[in-house]
Amino acid sequence: MTDISPFEALSDPTRRKLFERLRRGPCSVNELVEAVPVSQPAVSQHLRVLREAHLARVEKQGQQRIYSLDPRGLIELRAYVDSLWDQVLDAFQQAAQRESQESTLNPSTKEPGHD
Amino acid sequence: MIEISSTENIIPPVVKSIRINLTVEAAFRLFTTEITRWWPLASHSVFGDEAVSCHLEGFVGGRFYEVHKDQRQSEWGRVTVWEPPRRVAFSFYPGRKLDDSTEVEVTFQPEAGGVRMTLTHRGWEHCSPQFQAERDGYDRGWDLVLGKYAQSAAAAD
Repeated sequence: MTDISPFEALSDPTRRKLFERLRRGPCSVNELVEAVPVSQPAVSQHLRVLREAHLARVEKQGQQRIYSLDPRGLIELRAYVDSLWDQVLDAFQQAAQRESQESTLNPSTKEPGHD
Repeated sequence: MIEISSTENIIPPVVKSIRINLTVEAAFRLFTTEITRWWPLASHSVFGDEAVSCHLEGFVGGRFYEVHKDQRQSEWGRVTVWEPPRRVAFSFYPGRKLDDSTEVEVTFQPEAGGVRMTLTHRGWEHCSPQFQAERDGYDRGWDLVLGKYAQSAAAAD
């Protein structure tokens, strides 16, 4: 597997713009080309990266190739953001626990500025 | 033909809920104005090991930012809702630009001798936060590619 991670794919501003356009709904290559200030070959290259990162997928509808979001890359991004908040909230919970123990041990030391 | 117009139809926002043994007021204060006491800066900051503090200013429009040991700052977001002690919300774009913003809302509800805190992160799919220091291996490409991007984005501010 030579898959590109969704994070790597979205590190590029043009690809973020294309991704952003796809968030608003499925669209053709022409519509995607209009969304960014780069040439059609460049857009095709960026779309290839988004496909490899499982952020976009393409489907033939008649003569047109229609691009849409691929949930697989989104699931990976979501898992990352989810774990990021797990770590933050763990740290918060530990701090809250320390604070609650302190106030139980020293119920009289509640004046502001006590640290 | 039904058009799926938003990724929220595909993937819901990230929602986290924890219970804390503090009063609502104390929990709100600890999470907001006292955030630098507990936020895991080394792993969750743009400057990583060189970050010394982070701050969330307690008013609508207030800044959420980290400070580098050389006093440089990197903004993570802006306060959009300030309703102590029940609710705070902020835009959230660490390592990004303002126009790549996502939204975080945190609510505090009293619950049997403590607080139920619920955090909702919307729009993350638009732009996942780019903390430099996801070094402990979620993704090898992350540190190399996005870490550099995050630093340059911060420097360009």
